[in-house]
Amino acid sequence: MAKIRKADSFLSRNISAVHLFIGATLVLPAYLFQQNLLVRMAQVLLFAWLATVNGKRIKWNYFIIMVSSITFFHTLNPFGEVIFSLGPYTMTRGALRGGLFRGVTIVGLVFLSLFSIRPDLKLPGKLGGLLGQVFYYFERVFEGKKKIRVKAIIESLDEILWDLFVPGETVEPAYIEGTRTTKYGWLFLGALVGANWFLVFYRVPLTIL
Amino acid sequence: MSTIPIASDERSRYEKLEFVAFLAGLCLFFSTIEYLFPKPLPFFRLGLANLPILISLEFFAPGYVFLLVLLKVLGQGLVNGTLASYVFLFSLAGSFSSVIVMLSVRRMFGRHISLVGISLFGAVASNVVQILLSVNFIFGLTAWVIAPIFMTLGTGSGLFVGMFAERFRTQSRWLETMRQHYGKNPES
Repeated sequence: MAKIRKADSFLSRNISAVHLFIGATLVLPAYLFQQNLLVRMAQVLLFAWLATVNGKRIKWNYFIIMVSSITFFHTLNPFGEVIFSLGPYTMTRGALRGGLFRGVTIVGLVFLSLFSIRPDLKLPGKLGGLLGQVFYYFERVFEGKKKIRVKAIIESLDEILWDLFVPGETVEPAYIEGTRTTKYGWLFLGALVGANWFLVFYRVPLTIL
Repeated sequence: MSTIPIASDERSRYEKLEFVAFLAGLCLFFSTIEYLFPKPLPFFRLGLANLPILISLEFFAPGYVFLLVLLKVLGQGLVNGTLASYVFLFSLAGSFSSVIVMLSVRRMFGRHISLVGISLFGAVASNVVQILLSVNFIFGLTAWVIAPIFMTLGTGSGLFVGMFAERFRTQSRWLETMRQHYGKNPES
C-alpha cells in the first residue's frame, strides 16, 4: 500500500489531523470576533508561524501584495479623518483601517487553514475513500515527473501515463500513518483556543489606527 | 473504432470511478507543477489543472465530470492546506462555473467546437465568477478597474490550456487506448 509523506513537525507528531482541525475551528470565531487590529495582526503572525511549523512554505510576497492591494482599493472610497492627500488621491483613517482590517483578516484565514489542514485529514464516506485513491495516483505521477521532457511533452507524458494507469487495474488507496494526540498536543490546543478566546473578552489597551 | 465490452454496469461504474480518481490525481500533479512557471501577476493562475477535466469531457457523463471537479478542488484544498479559506471557495466556485459552461457548450455545439473553444468558454466563466466574488467579498467595487487585465490574462491562459489539450487529444496514444476501453460519452 502506498504511503504518503507527512511533514515531521511538533504539530504532526503530537496532534491528530482531526483534533487540529477541530481546534482551529474553535479558534475561528474568536479570530473573527476580534475587533482590535493590532491583536488581529498578532493572531495572523501566530497562524503564519504555526503554518511554518506545520511544514508549509509561506510566500510572504504574495500575502504582502494581497493585503496592500486590498487596502489600496478600500482607500479609494475615503471616509473619516484625512491622513494625507496627493493630487486627487485622499487617504483617510476610516478607509485605511477598513482596508487593512479586511486584508489582514483574509490572509489570517488562509494561514489558519494552512496550519490546520493536513493531507492526513480523512474525509468520511465514499468520497473520502475516493480521495485516498486520488492521492495514491498523485504521489505516483509526482514520482515520475523527472521523465517529462519539454521538447517531447506529449510523448513523455504518454510514457508516464502508460506506466501508471492501465484500465481495469485496481489500486489500493494511499494512506498516511495517523497521529494520536499526546498530552503536549492537548496542552497546545487548549492554550491556543483559550488564548484566542481570552483576547475576545479582555480589552487589550494597545491598538493602531 | 472498437470498444471492449464490459461485464456489467457495476464493473463499468467502478472502472469509471477509478479513471476519475486517476484524472483527479493528474489535476493535483498539474496544479503542483504550475508553481514552477513564473506569474505575471500575483493572483494569476495558468489553470494547467484543468487539462484532465477538458480531456474527461470526451469520456464521462456530467455526473462523473462534476465528481472529478469536486475531487480536484478538495484534493488541492487538502494538499495546499487551503480547505478552510477563501481560496477554497474561489476555487470551488470558479471550477464548477467553468465546468457547467464547458459541458453546456459541448452539448450545444457537439463536434463543431474544439477543446480550444471549450477551454476559452470555461476560462471566461471561471474568471467572471472569481472577479465577481473578489469584488463583492475582498477588494470592493473599485476593483473593477483591474478586471480587464484579469480577463485578458485568464482568456490567454484558457487559450493556451485549450491548445495543449487539443494537441494531446489528437496525438496521445495513451488517450486512444482509454478511448477504446471506456468508449465515448454517449452525450458527446
